[in-house]
Amino acid sequence: MEIKGYSMPGDTLNAAVIVKLEPDFSEGNVSYNADGTLNRAETKSILGPHSAVASSAAFYAKVRYGARIAVTTMGPPIADVALQQAQVICDADELHLYSDRIFAGADTLATAEVLRNGIAKVEGGKVDLVFSGHRASDGETGQTGPQTAWKLGFTFLGNVIDYDIDLQNRMVRAKRLISLQGFYDVIEEVEAPLPVFIAIDPSYKASFSTVSQRLAFEKYQKEGRARAQDFKRYLKVFNAQQLGADPKLVGLPGSPTIVYKVERIPKAKASRKAEVIDGSSREELRKAAAKMYEILGEMIIK
Amino acid sequence: MTEKYQHLYVVVEHEDGKPVPVSLEMLGEARRLMDGFNTKYRSDEKVVAVVLGHGVRKLCEELIFFGADAAIYSDSPEFKHARNLVDTKVISEIAKDRELASKFSKAADFVKPRYMFFAADNIGRQLSSTVLAELESGLASDINKLVIEDLEIKHEHKTKGQALKYEKTLEMYRPDFSGFLWTTILCLDNRNPAIAREYHPQACSIIPGVFAPIERDTSRRGTIVEHRPSFAERDLRVKVIGRKIVKSDVDFDSHKAIVSFGRGVKEAPEENIRLVSRLAEQLEGEVGISLPISKKPFAVSEVTSSKFMIPDRVVGTSGRKVAPLVYVAVGISGAMQHIAGMKESTFVVAINPDENAPIKDECDIFIKGRMEDVIPLLLEELQKQKPAIRAK
Repeated sequence: MEIKGYSMPGDTLNAAVIVKLEPDFSEGNVSYNADGTLNRAETKSILGPHSAVASSAAFYAKVRYGARIAVTTMGPPIADVALQQAQVICDADELHLYSDRIFAGADTLATAEVLRNGIAKVEGGKVDLVFSGHRASDGETGQTGPQTAWKLGFTFLGNVIDYDIDLQNRMVRAKRLISLQGFYDVIEEVEAPLPVFIAIDPSYKASFSTVSQRLAFEKYQKEGRARAQDFKRYLKVFNAQQLGADPKLVGLPGSPTIVYKVERIPKAKASRKAEVIDGSSREELRKAAAKMYEILGEMIIK
Repeated sequence: MTEKYQHLYVVVEHEDGKPVPVSLEMLGEARRLMDGFNTKYRSDEKVVAVVLGHGVRKLCEELIFFGADAAIYSDSPEFKHARNLVDTKVISEIAKDRELASKFSKAADFVKPRYMFFAADNIGRQLSSTVLAELESGLASDINKLVIEDLEIKHEHKTKGQALKYEKTLEMYRPDFSGFLWTTILCLDNRNPAIAREYHPQACSIIPGVFAPIERDTSRRGTIVEHRPSFAERDLRVKVIGRKIVKSDVDFDSHKAIVSFGRGVKEAPEENIRLVSRLAEQLEGEVGISLPISKKPFAVSEVTSSKFMIPDRVVGTSGRKVAPLVYVAVGISGAMQHIAGMKESTFVVAINPDENAPIKDECDIFIKGRMEDVIPLLLEELQKQKPAIRAK
């Protein structure tokens, strides 16, 4: 793990965002099979919601610090849609698609390997900040971000709800939201030198307080929309060879894990015996209401 | 010759020396698995707790009472708070340390642990990812069932299409986001000569609240081993400069009632969520949701979305575990992950039009009907009875 020489004080800030094309879980777009499982064939794909939050965090770096932004993804050719949707959000200067048939079937470790090679191609390898979402909506492992960070040798900060950058000293100051099971939630404030990899918490919301920030926000937002209309101009596609990826470390050969089987979760033994009542019967609902109050410890006085 | 890959290492999380519950749950499951393993394979592999912290030797004794055969701890003020970078480095070092393993086992050829467990929480999910990137092996996340088996595997890449036997393979079951499918993940060596590569440890993160700890047994004895950490300056480049305990806006613990809703609100989400919210108010309860709702599947007003469709409100294995006196499940079908989060409730009421929904087996009263029809009537009945109570 080597930390390379990145940028110097006064240099432009270079940011990359890692995004993912995911099934659209919004009602009307998502389709479920009769057994409650996702119907992938019928469900449209879009930029994942966590990827969208990551893009908005990168946009903050553009508005506040004039960062250059590259949005990157690994996926089939149609995944360029996710790049386009992210460009609308963050006014990306470059879009990178890492696409090769040998990448297919990758688990998180093999995916991180591709992304590591990809990020090394952004701005000649001089990247200060990488953003990813908290986890994907479909896979939900949350592994790809931290594993990519580790392979890059970047400091990983997860669950980030707020961040700012000290350009002069090339430092990040971030707030992280951590749930300590059985104890409490903690907001932790940390400081780390660039380069840093930030996995952004779903609750992140950028705020722009000054007039000049709001003006910059509007300008770049407009620019982002215009660029996304013509997104192919900003798109670069890389295959495994162009990335210099080792075929043994990507795709199925580079994946330690396999999916051995998928089954329906067997119905658990009934843990309670329900009394079924008719929801249109006032009499029965009256009894149900009384029962609920009784349990809640409130005495009923007749 | 001893084996290269031995033992089950459990990475323990704690807050100032007190273990978080999932740490003891992992040790319990590790104990059961390795007892079975040692009987089946006539071997003597260990459950090894791994702890980073400051002043944690005492905790190691507790971990042995809760099922560990050995505990490896690394003590330094630098471990006061979990920090991914330095923690990853030290845990990876410990996992590869033959010297440490030889303190509690015959480990002349030890390379890495056979299996490794982490907690599937904010800290463990990220830590497991980076540690396994460093150890260059496979990781399954959010596991709720584990089995060790000898499996015959025929795989295009792993075995070049031949049927080969993989002994002592950890089957790692993870429920998918819908809660209806179980995916079994295996971490397997590549035995195909063209891409040959060994992948150990077989590692996973474990969902809190799923497995039972073993009973604390103060007669249990084990080996406690100290690892002395050494830090390079760059390992410590993340500085924790502040830490503030926060209370979530969503308070499940101090309310006696929780009313949760699921995808069943879909026909008129805005109106139905309002009904659910009124029902919760009437019962002086908090509002919960099922996991799919946190993905904001419906177009509703920003106010409704940002108040209700948020991860903080999720009840279940991907959210909070609750145990109110009264739990009302509105339009929730009852996926396993949701049930795991509310099954300790004293009294459960379900409102659902579908009598075949799994929630029926998990409730005490099943009100059959559409929420649009049922809740207004139920609210009226609750309101009628309310004054009588207040009069007391």
